[in-house]
Amino acid sequence: MAALDPKAMGKLIATGATTRVDAPATKPKFKIGDRVAARNLSPVTHTRLPRYVRGKRGRVERVHGVFALPDTHAIGAGRSPQWVYAVTFDAAELWGPQGRGAGRLTIDLWDDYLDPA
Amino acid sequence: MNGIHDLGGMDGLGPVLREANEPVFHGDWERRVFAVFIATIVGGLFNDDEFRQARERLEPARYLKAPYYEQWLLAIQRLLDEKGIIKKADIEARMKKLATGAA
Amino acid sequence: MAQDHHDDGPSDVALRVKALESLLVEKGLVDPAALDLIVDTYENRIGPRNGAKVVAKAWADPAYKARLLEDATAAIAELGFTGAQGENMVVLENTATVHNLVVCTLCSCYPWPTLGLPPTWYKSPPYRARAVRDPRGTLREFGVELPEGVEIRVWDSNAEIRYMVLPERPKGTEKLSEEALARLVTRDAMIGVGRASAP
Repeated sequence: MAALDPKAMGKLIATGATTRVDAPATKPKFKIGDRVAARNLSPVTHTRLPRYVRGKRGRVERVHGVFALPDTHAIGAGRSPQWVYAVTFDAAELWGPQGRGAGRLTIDLWDDYLDPA
Repeated sequence: MNGIHDLGGMDGLGPVLREANEPVFHGDWERRVFAVFIATIVGGLFNDDEFRQARERLEPARYLKAPYYEQWLLAIQRLLDEKGIIKKADIEARMKKLATGAA
Repeated sequence: MAQDHHDDGPSDVALRVKALESLLVEKGLVDPAALDLIVDTYENRIGPRNGAKVVAKAWADPAYKARLLEDATAAIAELGFTGAQGENMVVLENTATVHNLVVCTLCSCYPWPTLGLPPTWYKSPPYRARAVRDPRGTLREFGVELPEGVEIRVWDSNAEIRYMVLPERPKGTEKLSEEALARLVTRDAMIGVGRASAP
């Protein structure tokens, strides 16, 4: 691999890079308003499913599009592109009685992190 | 992984410490780490998820205490070493040379 | 904690990055001139002034605001702000009844083209831990007291979407130019831990 010169580097920074798939071959599993549950998963490698949402129930708020799944992308196991949704949880669902007054929380979750609820 | 990086909801970490008029970088070494990071990730030597995973695998106490850009540096070093692009031993040999002014 | 560190760094780190950089250059993997360009870009050219222009335009131009809330990436690109860590933008509107707050609990995801590189506190364990669990208390630390009736909405930007807050337009700014409006927009207001300044 040749080193990028400043011109090429500048161009790439200004363009950015995303794992978004522009013309997805699949349809989203969920639509806005659907009730979903975050799966309870504990992979020993990388995941973007934090512990505090695992097993918790929320609602799909936005459908963002299709992106590489970090779990496989981080370990050289391919991009496994799939749909990502903004899922909203009540603070009380996440934190129990101590979550009162903490409103709602939204986090972006991939198909593999979700089940219908 | 169920690592120290997964901080959401953890108690007891103290107040959020803010610095008035914080500069973008706090010293030249931070500048260099950031630039090396961008050059190597944009250059395709690793991807962002690999980088995040490398940072998460830092020893937990170090993850909490090491300056942010030191964590980045250690993550880059680990990835380049694991991929056989630049071995950690070669970095350390070069450090010795630089320290004695031989390079 | 990490944020206590504000000197020139432990000599080991400074030496280590120097060693790494010299090996990368020697192997032809990195061009030293490209490194200088990267530093200049993020230290001098990209920062929260970009985001402030977006917010001011949204306050001044309702059609732009509608585009910004509908497709933030495209609307922000209209002002020339594009690139790494801003490829997939969503803008969240703060109103009299809803207050949005952005965090990245797993690392330090942040919208670079509009806000620049994140401040140390944003990347620090205390903020990442508490913003999701006790957002009202976190806001209080930043001097923002939310009235009871205001709903707080926390956005944990753990994926490829980058979130930016469109703060409420301060009262008494009806006659201000876009340029003057932009001066009222703080970085913290666009993260959701502050409000726009009064004129």
